[in-house]
Amino acid sequence: MQHLTEQELVLHHYHDEDSPAAVAQHLAACDVCRAEYNSIQRVLALVDEIPIPQRADNYGDQVWTRLRWRLGSAGRRRNWRTTLAAAAVLAVAFFAGEWWHAHNVATHPSVMASASPAGPAEATQAAAQNRILFVVVTDHLDSSERMLLQVVNSDSKGGLDLTSERGRAEELVASNRIYRQTAEQHGDDRLASVLSDLEPVLLEIAHSEGRLSPDEAAALQKRIDAKGLLFKVRVVSAQTSGHEAPAARKGMTSL
Amino acid sequence: MQTTDVATVSRARAGDSDAFRLLVEQHSRLVFRVAYRMTGNEHDADDVVQETFLRAFKQLGRFEERANFGTWLHRIAVNCALDLLRSRGRLDRHYGGDPEEAEMMGAISSSDPQQDRLLLSAELRSHVTAAMEKLSGNERTAFVLRHFEGMPVEEIGKTLGIQVNAAKHTIFRAVRKLRESLEPFVRSSTCNI
Repeated sequence: MQHLTEQELVLHHYHDEDSPAAVAQHLAACDVCRAEYNSIQRVLALVDEIPIPQRADNYGDQVWTRLRWRLGSAGRRRNWRTTLAAAAVLAVAFFAGEWWHAHNVATHPSVMASASPAGPAEATQAAAQNRILFVVVTDHLDSSERMLLQVVNSDSKGGLDLTSERGRAEELVASNRIYRQTAEQHGDDRLASVLSDLEPVLLEIAHSEGRLSPDEAAALQKRIDAKGLLFKVRVVSAQTSGHEAPAARKGMTSL
Repeated sequence: MQTTDVATVSRARAGDSDAFRLLVEQHSRLVFRVAYRMTGNEHDADDVVQETFLRAFKQLGRFEERANFGTWLHRIAVNCALDLLRSRGRLDRHYGGDPEEAEMMGAISSSDPQQDRLLLSAELRSHVTAAMEKLSGNERTAFVLRHFEGMPVEEIGKTLGIQVNAAKHTIFRAVRKLRESLEPFVRSSTCNI
């Protein structure tokens, strides 16, 4: 009688053989193969003893706590697409409003005369328009600040993994351009300057291969430091968030 | 899928972070278990758990609600563990358990037939751990997926990017190595316990 091979017995144990009935029949008739099969089963039963390190009762909580900020960035990425689209629409609406206003003033000087000083309705509309823009710019600056912080606070000696940030950086670059152009159009030099400084850094993150070498990471950190970028972003962010208040204050950054 | 999971997943897909938190809390331990069995390392397993939920969150939109969330999550965990093993170059080599230490532990086990049953049990577990560490990454992965996770060989083949027969052979190699390491203890434990 030809005995079953070890491989056939292992396959039989996992029910992965082509003809289980034939193997079962042989095992029933052959003491040698049955002993060999039992030995395999005993070893595999022993493997079931492999210890799994215990986790605390609140392990799920611990996982969530560590995960939360990473999910935050992923969630923001999903929401950011909506925000970006909204920002573009708002910017277009803002320019259209400006164009309409300029066109009417130019073609109907009487309107200018009657509208100067601006009537309460126009002033309210302009303030509302500004408030919406301040909200999205502040959100953009906050997101950029978080990204800069992550780069600056990381230990560059081990390089920098930006894989999970690249997509978000691309979106920030796109929205950054819209806000920078809007700020330039409106003569808001301070905001335009900060956004202009921010753009190449965001671009570098967006175009990175995902992982920066220690030298590249250190160079990026140095660039952020040299321009005092984080500080500038914080200051402008604080100013624009101040503009979210119902009445825009004069003398502060405006858009 | 549990009824609670269906409703919770639905809420999570709608952007409810509390619902996703609930899923994390409910499934973390199970994900850790498969991650640990595959990586053989506690810290790596914790990393895999994190990465699994991060990927799950990003891919929630692709999850079909008729499917089983636990099964879907399990598949993500397996892929995350594989990615981690690949990134460490551990799939094609041994896990690096110290063979001398394993031999020493073997010598200890058969030395005292009067040892306490609990101690023996703990010792056997350490032998099993050492035996698992002697497997290559591919062998360990294929074995864990078949033996502990009950994954069909066809799927193991797909997961590892190998043919079905190669998957079967990899599992067989793993079992053979485990037998080589553990058979003496099977005999001694049968005698001693």
